[in-house]
Order: sequence, then structure tokens, then C-alpha cells
Amino acid sequence: MSEQSVTGDRRPVDLPAGTPPLLTLSGIAKYFPGVIANKDVSIDFYPGEIHALLGENGAGKSTLMNIVTGLYQPDEGELILNGYGVSFDSPEAAIAAGIGMVHQHFKLVSRFTVAENLALGWRETRRWLSASEMARRAEAEAARYGLDIKASAPIDSLTAGEQQRVEILRVLSRGASLLILDEPTAVLSPLEVGELYAALRRFRDGGGAVILISHKLDEIMALADRVTVLRHGRVAGTHKVSAIDPATLVTEMIGRPVEQKSAYPRKSPREKDSCVIRLDNVSCRDGAGRVRLHPVSLDIRVGEILGVAGVTGNGQSELADLLAGLQAPQGGRVLVDGKEMGGVSPKAFREAGIGYVPEDRLHKALAPALSVTENTVMRVFREHPIGGRLVYHASEALRFTRSLLERAQVSLSDPATPIRALSGGNQQRLVLARERMISDRALIASYPSRGLDIGAIAVMRETLADIRDEGRAVVLISEDLDELMALSDRIAVLCGGRLMTVLEKDDFDLARIGALMSGREKEHG
Amino acid sequence: MSRRIRLAVVPARRIFIGRLLALGFVFVVLAVVLAMLGLKLGMVARLVVTSTFGTKFGLEDLALYMTPLLMTGAAVWLGLRAGLWNIGAEGQFLAGATAATAIGLFLPASALVSLPLAALAGLLAGALWSAVPAAGRAWLGVSEIITTLLLNFIASFMVYYLVTGPWADRVTGAQVSSERLHVALPVIHGVVHWGGVLGLVIVVAMGLSLGRSRFGYELALSGSNPTAAHYAGVSVAPRIFVALLFSGALAGLGGMMEVLGTVHRLQGGLAHGYGYLGIVVALLARKSAFALIPAAFLMAVILNTGIVLQTLQVSASSVLAITGLLVFAIAVSDELAAYVKLETQK
Ligand SMILES: Nc1ncnc2c1ncn2[C@@H]1O[C@H](COP(=O)(O)OP(=O)(O)OP(=O)(O)O)[C@@H](O)[C@H]1O
Ligand SMILES: [Mg+2]
Repeated sequence: MSEQSVTGDRRPVDLPAGTPPLLTLSGIAKYFPGVIANKDVSIDFYPGEIHALLGENGAGKSTLMNIVTGLYQPDEGELILNGYGVSFDSPEAAIAAGIGMVHQHFKLVSRFTVAENLALGWRETRRWLSASEMARRAEAEAARYGLDIKASAPIDSLTAGEQQRVEILRVLSRGASLLILDEPTAVLSPLEVGELYAALRRFRDGGGAVILISHKLDEIMALADRVTVLRHGRVAGTHKVSAIDPATLVTEMIGRPVEQKSAYPRKSPREKDSCVIRLDNVSCRDGAGRVRLHPVSLDIRVGEILGVAGVTGNGQSELADLLAGLQAPQGGRVLVDGKEMGGVSPKAFREAGIGYVPEDRLHKALAPALSVTENTVMRVFREHPIGGRLVYHASEALRFTRSLLERAQVSLSDPATPIRALSGGNQQRLVLARERMISDRALIASYPSRGLDIGAIAVMRETLADIRDEGRAVVLISEDLDELMALSDRIAVLCGGRLMTVLEKDDFDLARIGALMSGREKEHG
Repeated sequence: MSRRIRLAVVPARRIFIGRLLALGFVFVVLAVVLAMLGLKLGMVARLVVTSTFGTKFGLEDLALYMTPLLMTGAAVWLGLRAGLWNIGAEGQFLAGATAATAIGLFLPASALVSLPLAALAGLLAGALWSAVPAAGRAWLGVSEIITTLLLNFIASFMVYYLVTGPWADRVTGAQVSSERLHVALPVIHGVVHWGGVLGLVIVVAMGLSLGRSRFGYELALSGSNPTAAHYAGVSVAPRIFVALLFSGALAGLGGMMEVLGTVHRLQGGLAHGYGYLGIVVALLARKSAFALIPAAFLMAVILNTGIVLQTLQVSASSVLAITGLLVFAIAVSDELAAYVKLETQK
């Protein structure tokens, strides 16, 4: 306890003296086999406060919040809510006590409308509820919390930000006084982030308490009132945000300062200028026949990082799927090393040496119920020494997994553990390390920094620069313009499924890219 | 201080001990029920044990029960590996038996020729019986649970039609039965035939090869997350198709063994619920193919016990009740086995 650093008062200033905490965690511990996920965690959460949780991947943030919301039981310590010791045996019990959580992976019924999803959480409903009445009530709730929703739209027609708003509204309309959000801005567009901030501030100013898990320091500095840093499952310190600077937080979290570079100069000059993947007028439609990607022609060249900028959902995931062969184009041609890849499988792209970190890694690039080993060998199981035409060597697979775990800096005692037991960030690290291994020619990386802590992001960016220096190609899809400008040699801007333009390094300009992303400026020539 | 935690990977030894306890629990419940029926427990226990393990007849019965259970259990287990529920082992079993019967009845050839042919026919017929559900599931996404189940009824009616119509026994006039087949599986001892041995070999071979083969890995991946399997370059639909086809073939071979080894006639009630009991066997075996062997053995003991109880005027449904109770107790014990006490210092 003594090494815990505390800056400022333990209580936020703007609360009247003597305001008791809404929720107190006292000496919480949680153990998993071979892992201490939380130990001696004591934190006070006050009403009218946004409290951020910061920590490395695997520090125990999600586990702690799962304890607060009744998904896990603490092995030691107690929860004190409004002065009374409580224990929640289910998330239902927690929500009944006014604690609601918005998970990173939304839990909405996608075929239902917004109003129907909200109605699922209402306690007192009459046996018969007409659709119009449901919509009316949903809109009334929305107006009460100042969250703008389309009550009769089906969930699967909404953007990530809109879905998140429904999630928040669902929690709030069940009377939550404590709202927990796990990495909420990871999937939002900048505009949606602004709206989320506003909604959270409004909720706080009305006396609600918010706990925010985030890896983004600027977000914490802008939004939170206080921040608690977790390290190896323990509290490293609690601070008032106004009295601390980001660098100190990073040091406390990782144990050393981390500098996010703004440029990654080449270590050796670029040799040749040949093209690995060529898109020739390719276009793409979704299942419903809507055009997701208008005809685009693009060269992916060796020894360069091509950045792809754009608001999430403007054709990036289709572009990435095309480049990695997960989807065949409806029109046009995809060429790898000059060879046309019409109608071939992802296997051929993999064999051509193209690695792919997709946006939705949990569902697309991992089998959560299978073991870490089975997930790690997913891209190499055909090759010597792990596999052959017919065989699969389990012992070689295990050896390979251990070496990759080390490379990805993930500590894990038993690789037979199902991969879903790994922390969110550690799953990402493994996918990244695995795909890096196989990208002999090119790596397609969609939002590679999502879910990673600051230290891991720095490592990941160095890795991308290394791949470039080794004369391979990188396609970096990101919504973080600073990241794109620091790493890219060229930046392609997507808007509404259209390639707006490709900017050369000398023409990088924040304002210009921003304008192109919102479709305001169409380049010609 | 100590706390209970849940293990992500449960050691096999813990599962095993838990299941022994579950089995003990089922015995206790059974004993209470029998006592309430006014039966003398000591007498019943002695009767069950002696008539199952103490006599040549009982042991032979056990082996004969185990063989089809092993095959249908393997069939269902293989489907589960790929995330598929083959509820149709019953129908595939009958299809295999029917095909083998056709060879046995109408092929005038020596056993050396007709036995391999009958085995092949059983395999093919079983595979064929699951081919439509398999294709529907693989390429159209039609739930295999419903399609395989429905085909069971068709298979059953087909057998009834054959054994009361065109293939009815006109020699001895046995009811709902074909006449005695001209070929039979060679016996090891008494009435126990080589089918059981073949079944053991197949199960062991399956266990060894799936864990060490690329196909086994691809199957597990396709079953667990088809999207990720596609990403890994595995064509999911053909894998699913082949897995269900193999599954049907195993059940079909089981049907061939039953008709040529044990019953020697095609009969109305030939399948005897083996297809459904195979689901229980597969669930008991969990992730290991080798565990199918003790699971089938246990199931065979239960069936045998049921027969003994029937001679004591206990209803035939008692067997089903025991089976259900056992599955339930084992599911609970597997879950409880995941919890361990952890000593922590304060
Ligand atoms: N169900 C589980 N079984 C076993 N270990 C688990 C389980 N859940 C979490 N862990 C382990 O507990 C530790 C803390 O995980 P947690 O998910 O809380 O981290 P986190 O702080 O949320 O990290 P991230 O930033 O990567 O999301 C990790 O080492 C993880 O592997
Ligand atoms: Mg987490």
C-alpha cells in the first residue's frame, strides 16, 4: 500500500465536503489459475465523477469491472455501495442495484428494432405492448437523457456509434447511477466520440458516476476527473487528472516512459519500386447488393507503408478483405506479383506471403473457444515442421506457440487455455505477432492499435517500420491521423466507398485529409 | 484462507473422479427407488452383477451391446468435433443394416467376398443416408439437427415395409423380420463376433489420426468458428460435408455389424435406440475418442441392468430413466470438477 502514489485530495474538489463515495472497492482480489488478475485493489468512486482506469494489457481492468458488475465473484475483499456491503451474484443483481456496463462487444439483438431492444430491459411492461407505444416510450427515455436515437430502426442498420448509444440508453433507462464503459471509443468516428463525451458529461453533471476503461491518454485527460492506474493487478496510484501529466501516468503504468514517435525514418534507402498487390478497377457489393466499394485502382508497393484514412465503415474493411483475398471482387482484377488472383481462396494469398490483421479479429481471425495453441498455428499449420499434406504435429505446434508468445510479450503458463481467457489486448498482440511472421511480401493491418496499451502500440509501430525497411509492403488502415502521418509514405483517403485521392508524403496535411475524409473535396487527376 | 476458483482447463483426473462420484450418486438413487419398490437390494445387486459379469451369457451380452454403441457413439462424436449434431445415427444405422441385409440375402457368394461387400454396403448406405442433411448443412446452412432426425423415421418405416413386405420371412414365418441371412460375421467366442474388435480398432484409429492429422485440426477449426476457418484458408463446406458423411458411414457400419453379427435378420426394432444412445456415449466421451470405449461399456452395463430389472417386473422405462439421470449427474460433476480450492495467504 505504501508505494501507492496519490496526487491531490482523494476526493474530487467540486463535491460538497462529506459526500460519501457511491461505490468503494476494498481489498479486492481475483485469482485465475497461475494468474493474479487483481490483488489489494481499493478504489473509491464518487457520484458526479468520471473515473478512468488505466493499465497495461492484462493489468486486470476488465476483470475488476466484471467483479463490480457481478459477472465474477471476488476471491477477497468487498464491495461497498452507498455505505452497505453488497455482493452481486449476477449482472442482473448489479443492474438492479444501479450498476450498468457497456461492453466493448455490444450485446444487442440485431434483428430487433431500437425500441424493442430497449423494451427488453424494462421492468414493468404490460403484457401487450404495441410497436408505436414502445417507440413512444423509447423516444421519451431518449429525450430524458439527451441521447438521439431512431426508435424504429433495426439494430443492424445502425453504425457502431449509434448502437453504442442504444446500449448506453438501455443501461441508463434501467435506472443506473454508475455507468461502466470498457474501451468505448475504439470503434467510434471522431464525431461520435464527441457525442459520447457530451452524453457522459451530462450524465456526470446530473450526479451519475462513470468508470471509463481506456488506453487513450488524451481521452482520459480530456474527459476524466480522476484516474486510477492498475499495474499487474494492483493499484499503482489514483490521481486527479488536473494535477497530473500524461508522461507520469505512462511511467506509473509501464514502469518506463514511452515516447510515441512522430516519424519513423528509413534505416536504409529504398531499393526498388516494384508492386506487390495491384488493384485494377475492383469494386465490391455487400449481401444486400449495396455498393460498398466503388471501382478503385491502387498499387501496393514494396518497401513502403500505404496509409488508408477514412471514417470507419467507409469501405476500409472491404478493401482490406480484397487485399487479403477473403473476398473476391465483384468487378475488376486483383493481381499479386503480376498474377491474377481471380476467384481464389485466402490460402493462395497467404501462400503468396500476405499477412492480414482484420478489423474484427475476435470473429474473423480467432476461434475464441479453441486453445491458444490452435489459434496460434492457424496460419502455419500446413507447413513444416507443424504440418504436412496430411499430418499435424501437436508438439511442434506447442513449441511454435511458446516462441510466438515470447515474441508477442504475452506471458501465459498453459497454452492449452482457451484464447478467450486472454485479456483483450493480449489477443490482439498474438494476432499481430502471428501475421507478422507470415508476411513475407505484405502485411495488411486494420486498426492494429485497437485494444493495445501505449507500450504495445509503440512496439507495433516499430514493427511496421521494420517490415517496410526489410523491403516488404504494409497497408495501414487507421482512424488515427497522427499515426498515419507518422508512418505512411502515401495516404489513400476513403469516403463513402470511394477512393478520394492518394496523397504523397510531401502533401500530408491534417486539415486536407480531414476534408477529404468527410467528402468535401474531390481531387481530380 | 481458501477460495474456490474455476479452472479454464480441467485435468482429466478431476473429471474422472467427479464422474465416479456421479456414478455412485446414481447407484444410491437407484437403490432407494428399488427399496421403495419393495425389492431386496442385496438380491438385486447380486443378480445384476452375477448375470452381467458372472456368467458367460452375461459377458457375451455386454460385448454384443457394446459394439453398436461404440459405432453410433463414434458417429456422433465425429460430428461434434466439427460442431455438428448428428441426431440421425439411428437412421444411418438402419440404412447400413438394410444394405448389408440385401447383400446377405441376395448375393450368392462366399463369405470371403460377401462380408467385405456387406461392410462396404453398410458404410456407403450410412454415408448416403446422411448425404442430404450433410449437403444441406454445408452449402445451404440448413440445420442438420432437424434433417438428420427426420430421416430416422423414414429409415424406420423403410425397414418395417421391407420386413413385412418384399423381404418378409416366408421360411419360418417370423413376424416383422426377414429370413435368416446366409452370411455372418465370424465369431471369436460363443456368440461374440469380430465386429466389436473392428469397432475398437476404428475408434482407436480415429482418436490417433484426428489428433495428428491436418484434417482433424481443420475440422476443429471449422466447427469452432467457420469465419476464422475461411480466413485460415480452410474451405469449410467440404469439411462439414465430409465429416457428416463419415459420421453416417460409421453408424452404417454399426448397423451392418448388428445385422450380420448379432441379430442375423433384418428386424423392425433392430436399431433399439442405439442411435440416440450414441449421443449419450459421445457426450460422456467429451473431447477424447478413446473415452468412447469406457463410455460405450458403461452404457452397455446400463442396458444389461435394465434387462435384469425387467425380469424383476421393473418397468422397461427404468433404463431410460437411469440413462437420463446418469447424463444429468455427469454434466453436473463435470462442471463441479472445474472448481478447485485455492490456498491464499492473507
Ligand atoms: N476467464 C479467465 N481465465 C483465466 N485467466 C483469465 C480469465 N480472464 C482473465 N484472465 C487473465 O487475467 C489477467 C487480467 O485480464 P484482464 O482481461 O482483466 O486484463 P485487462 O486489463 O482488461 O487487459 P486489456 O487491456 O488487454 O483488455 C490476464 O492475464 C488474463 O489472461
Ligand atoms: Mg480488457
